[in-house]
Amino acid sequence: MKTMKPRDIALISLLSASITAGKFVLSFIPNVEIVTLLFIVYTVSFGLKRSLLVSVVFVTTEILIYGFSTWVIGYYFVWPVLILVTWMMKSRIKSEYGYAAIAGIHGCLFGAYFAVVESIFYGWAYGFSYWLKGILFDGIHGASNYIIALLLFKPLSRIVIMQAERYFGTVN
Amino acid sequence: MNKKIIAIVAVILLLVAIYWVYSTFISPKGEEGKKQVTIHVVISKEDIDQTFEYTTEHEFLYDLLKEKEKELGASFQSYDFGVMVTGMMNYVADESQQEFFHIAVNGEDATTGPQEIPLKDGDVYKFELKNW
Repeated sequence: MKTMKPRDIALISLLSASITAGKFVLSFIPNVEIVTLLFIVYTVSFGLKRSLLVSVVFVTTEILIYGFSTWVIGYYFVWPVLILVTWMMKSRIKSEYGYAAIAGIHGCLFGAYFAVVESIFYGWAYGFSYWLKGILFDGIHGASNYIIALLLFKPLSRIVIMQAERYFGTVN
Repeated sequence: MNKKIIAIVAVILLLVAIYWVYSTFISPKGEEGKKQVTIHVVISKEDIDQTFEYTTEHEFLYDLLKEKEKELGASFQSYDFGVMVTGMMNYVADESQQEFFHIAVNGEDATTGPQEIPLKDGDVYKFELKNW
């Protein structure tokens, strides 16, 4: 993807909208989300650059919905990290177990990412207590991410690729 | 499919183990028995600076605030991560003016919400309206 084509702009818009909608649908269950799985599937299916742009659009949309706060800085960091890790591991992972492991670890580290950002603003002691306070939620987040990715990665990526090729032709 | 079920069960067991470690070693513990504590409320813009002395058997600050909700004019908001104090002495912090109730325990900034602040005999819990 050397230059942005109208097709890519449309695709990035659709993908970021699907992530925003996916997050909203599951927002009533604390620490259970489908955003991680969608970013993994999109990275594997549509490549690094498109997925990074999707993450920027998604986080910016979050700011427009929820307003600006310190967590936004963390959001601009956590999703690109997930995309980069998925992209780097892509050639080594042979089954959905590998992607489920990435999703699970990402969920377990979620609080730690934000603790680092909070530490920058309020000091390391606050950051550490912030992380420790949320460690149980991180565990739930990691476990739910692992289970969701294990069950849904394969069928979802099959459908995503099938639909993308139907509407856009070959995407990569 | 069996392999997946085993993997899911293993993850759930791991989560149960994390929960056990958290509740046994990490989560804040309350103290049983009677305690004498002080609630200090400061809202400078309303010229409010009031102190309340209570003898309580509650273990956490939130339980005491709920019991004395009317007297303290307290209001709360629940979030995924817990409860926040949004009002004291019938004054509700105005988010549009970046107001919030800062909590200090014996002069030290509280790092958790009222549900996780254990009550200890002789402690002073200060609620002060501040801007972020």
